[in-house]
Amino acid sequence: MKKQFVPFLAGLALLAACDPKAAEIVPVPEPAPTTGVFVLSEGRFGAGDGAVSIFDKASKTLNVDAFGSANGGAKLGDVVQSMGVQGNRGYIVVNASNKIEVVTLPDFKTAGTINGLDQPRYFTSTSATRGYVTEWRGPFTGYLPGVLSILDLSTNAVIRSVPVGRNPEQLLALGGKIYVPNSLDNTVTIVDEASAAVSSTVTLSDGPSSMVADKDGNVWVLCSGFVTYLSTPPFTATRVSNGALIRFSPNSPATQFKLTFPATGGPSKLRINPAKDQLYYAFGGAEYQMSTAATALPTTPFIRRSFSGFAIDPRDNTVFAAVAPSFSTNGRFIRYQATGVAIDSFEVKVGPNGFVFY
Amino acid sequence: MHFFNFGRAAWRRGLLWALLAGPGVAVGQQVPGPAAAPPDSARLSQRQHRLSEVQVRAVGPERFAVGSRRFELDSAVLAQYRGGNLADVLQARTPLILKNYGPGQLATIALRGTSAQHTAVLWNGLNIMLPTLGQNDFALLPVGTNTRVSIQPGPAAALYGSGAVGGAVLLNNDPDWRPGSRGSAQFDAGSFGLLGGSLEARTTTPTVAVRVAASYREAQNNYSYVLREARGPVRYTLQNAALRHQWSISPDVAWRVGTAGEVTAAAWLTDADREIQSGVNVAGSEARERDQSRRLVLGYRHLAARQQWAVRGAWFEDIINYRDRGTPSNSRVRTTQAQAEHTSALGARGSLRLGAEAQHFAALVGGYGSETITENRAAAFALLRYDPRPGLRLSANLRQAVLPAGLAPLTPTVGLEWDLLPAPIDTLTNSPTHQLTAKASAARSYRAPTLNERYWLPGGNPSLRPESGFGSEAGLRHRLSWGRRTTLETELTAFRQDVDDWVQWLPTAGTGIWSPRNLRQVRSQGLEASTALRRRQGHYTGSAQMAYHFTDTRKTQGSTADSDPVGVQLAFVPQHQASFATDHRWRDWLVSGTFVFTSFRYTSASGTDFLPGTGLLGATVGRTLHGPAGTSLLVLVQAANLLNQAYDSYPGRPAPPRTVGGSLRLSWN
Repeated sequence: MKKQFVPFLAGLALLAACDPKAAEIVPVPEPAPTTGVFVLSEGRFGAGDGAVSIFDKASKTLNVDAFGSANGGAKLGDVVQSMGVQGNRGYIVVNASNKIEVVTLPDFKTAGTINGLDQPRYFTSTSATRGYVTEWRGPFTGYLPGVLSILDLSTNAVIRSVPVGRNPEQLLALGGKIYVPNSLDNTVTIVDEASAAVSSTVTLSDGPSSMVADKDGNVWVLCSGFVTYLSTPPFTATRVSNGALIRFSPNSPATQFKLTFPATGGPSKLRINPAKDQLYYAFGGAEYQMSTAATALPTTPFIRRSFSGFAIDPRDNTVFAAVAPSFSTNGRFIRYQATGVAIDSFEVKVGPNGFVFY
Repeated sequence: MHFFNFGRAAWRRGLLWALLAGPGVAVGQQVPGPAAAPPDSARLSQRQHRLSEVQVRAVGPERFAVGSRRFELDSAVLAQYRGGNLADVLQARTPLILKNYGPGQLATIALRGTSAQHTAVLWNGLNIMLPTLGQNDFALLPVGTNTRVSIQPGPAAALYGSGAVGGAVLLNNDPDWRPGSRGSAQFDAGSFGLLGGSLEARTTTPTVAVRVAASYREAQNNYSYVLREARGPVRYTLQNAALRHQWSISPDVAWRVGTAGEVTAAAWLTDADREIQSGVNVAGSEARERDQSRRLVLGYRHLAARQQWAVRGAWFEDIINYRDRGTPSNSRVRTTQAQAEHTSALGARGSLRLGAEAQHFAALVGGYGSETITENRAAAFALLRYDPRPGLRLSANLRQAVLPAGLAPLTPTVGLEWDLLPAPIDTLTNSPTHQLTAKASAARSYRAPTLNERYWLPGGNPSLRPESGFGSEAGLRHRLSWGRRTTLETELTAFRQDVDDWVQWLPTAGTGIWSPRNLRQVRSQGLEASTALRRRQGHYTGSAQMAYHFTDTRKTQGSTADSDPVGVQLAFVPQHQASFATDHRWRDWLVSGTFVFTSFRYTSASGTDFLPGTGLLGATVGRTLHGPAGTSLLVLVQAANLLNQAYDSYPGRPAPPRTVGGSLRLSWN
């Protein structure tokens, strides 16, 4: 009677061979240096499946996990936050893994790991040996003032950490200074590159989170404003402070030109075009475009859609916009012409949040 | 010995007929009772209630779930896993789908491909699903607490109320009226810092039966795993995954009042302190969680020949305190429940149960703000069982719930069982005899929105509709016997389960605030096949059981706001699950083997990333040594993942390698 179990066991063996083919390890030829776009996907928190995909504009092909396929299937880590480029090196900031993975470009082969970080957010560099990364401190329920860590890129080590404000975000290196927006405060910390010390702290509006420099050498800071929620029914959200777009000259940061957003939302993700005369930001579920010469905020959106990442390709002004519908589904990126007309879209991993052009 | 009671295999034949086909099919039937209760493996779903000369059986709700599949974890199996939790035993022994974050970590069930919130868990007839989350963590339910664990997948479970869309898991402590005192104490130790112990003691007089079960468990879970990094494979030791302690104490007492009354009181107190394992790529998590549940139930039951009635009141308190470096996130929910039901005979062939229940929740949850949120729910039901002739059994039920946002969908259930080949009358022959039964059932079901879905700040959606399900199943049950010693029982069931208004949390356009909405339709369909061979001869009893489940669960329709693709197998629902288990007892020896196969499962809704298939082998060897004065010592050695397979139980959560454990159990009579 027990013989009838044999086909069952054979069936099990068959089923075991049924896993889908692992698609990610198939090597894809690296694109020519001038046609590659790196698409960053955070991945799902805890799953360790963040990735950088390489999109080749010429062939419209996508290598979904460039780091994994170049490094024997190694995982990049948990929450791929951002990436910076210095020469032929890429610096991938992996937030929840508390590290920066260093890769050679464009092949994405490992060139070391920068450890000793805590909640790293954004990277920039001023030379082949000098890098900077913003880091948060403290738990989400009570953040503490963060730091700007100064990195020796020849040894991939942290040289020192300069205290800044709470939740420092997208930093900007300009004219021998590092500008650090403290997104849980209302300040930008300015660190002097030569002395590696804070030279001044400028007060702006609540929630400065991203910054760019325009063609005239001015600094633009986007402040998101703050929101709190009523702790009793009906739990409505209350805007404590409105967002603001602020411009100042590096020579006189205290003298500021300020455009205030309506209370209907919080602006985010300030970007600038390659000519450095058009600003882009997200506000109220849409993307807006504004001239650096404008004296008022635009009222008509550039693209009426909410994006989790947005960038303009300096080589041809193509707009790349990321869509992360939820953290249970793969995301997409959409390419737009400089006029805002959609071209095409491609599926990437969960939670795409940014683009790097190389 | 037997670990599943597939259908009614283990029922004693005579009793089977008395119950199902006999003329006294109505409730409270009087059967001249044997002096002793049947052995564990033959424990009936109908409880034995011995009055002076006759037995009057309390009618369990399962009597009204005709035509559906139902299986029971045998007490002999529960005894083998007594130190573990319900997730451990279900994963080792059944082809049921559990989503598991690691040993002792959150483990939830996906019956027939539905979500964790679609399986109702009832303890002594009362829903113990956490009202905040609308689900249960099966790692927090120690096996030793309950004397009977049964699983009722599929539509017929709708008679258990909210949440029973995919099915229900029923935990019961039945009073044992065998006179005398007996008990056992057990000590467990195993790999990776596992230590535990448990105690069970009973004493019974003609009018009072008392039982106490208690258990303790801790585990370091400091096993090693290999992470593939850019510099090559690196071996790490798992961090922050310890089970610091897990207590469970459950006293219960049954007291006979007069000739027909029975008062029962039971408590179940659990307390677990766990480190919460984060994904292994997440650095430096220090998350801890304290889960405490206090459950008290008081009931009175009146059993007469032609009618029965029962009332029950219960009070639960569930505490979840979580912290990860920052300010703790605390929650405390108090649930008060009352139930009343009356069952009466309808002629000689039918019975009708009418009942009602009410629940009151008071939740003080950090995520809801600083005030206590209260909510009331109520339901009324009518359950009808009618057997027009001995070989044909029918049931039809109706349940209507009232929720704060209005009426839940009316949930009817119908079921049918028809003996195509009735059991032969002469059971003494040794030539093979066949018994074949066709069965079918269909039901509507619902799930009330959870407190989190309604009140979470921000995003809670008070206008959320209940999810509604429609399910049906049909199948065949075949039993082949060679005399009374050998049986082969096979069951084949095909099912389909549709869930509409499936709730999904998604970011709200504009604000980006995550909020639950009724967004999608999901269809789950599949096959469940099982076969069990049992043999008993002389000093030997043994069995071999195989089961295979095919589960195809896909979103069939969704709103535009819901980005998950249509037509892709849902994440964490493997299409193929199969289990094989074999148990053998000879004289004082016990040998068991288990193998569970799980096919690959997607880890996101997109159907691109997946966890590969696994095959897990386990084994148990035991020997009983007899001591003086009715004492005995059982020495048990148990191993899991014998093939030492390296796999992730969840993305970023490596599962334990091969583990070995031992138990010593001292029993007295």
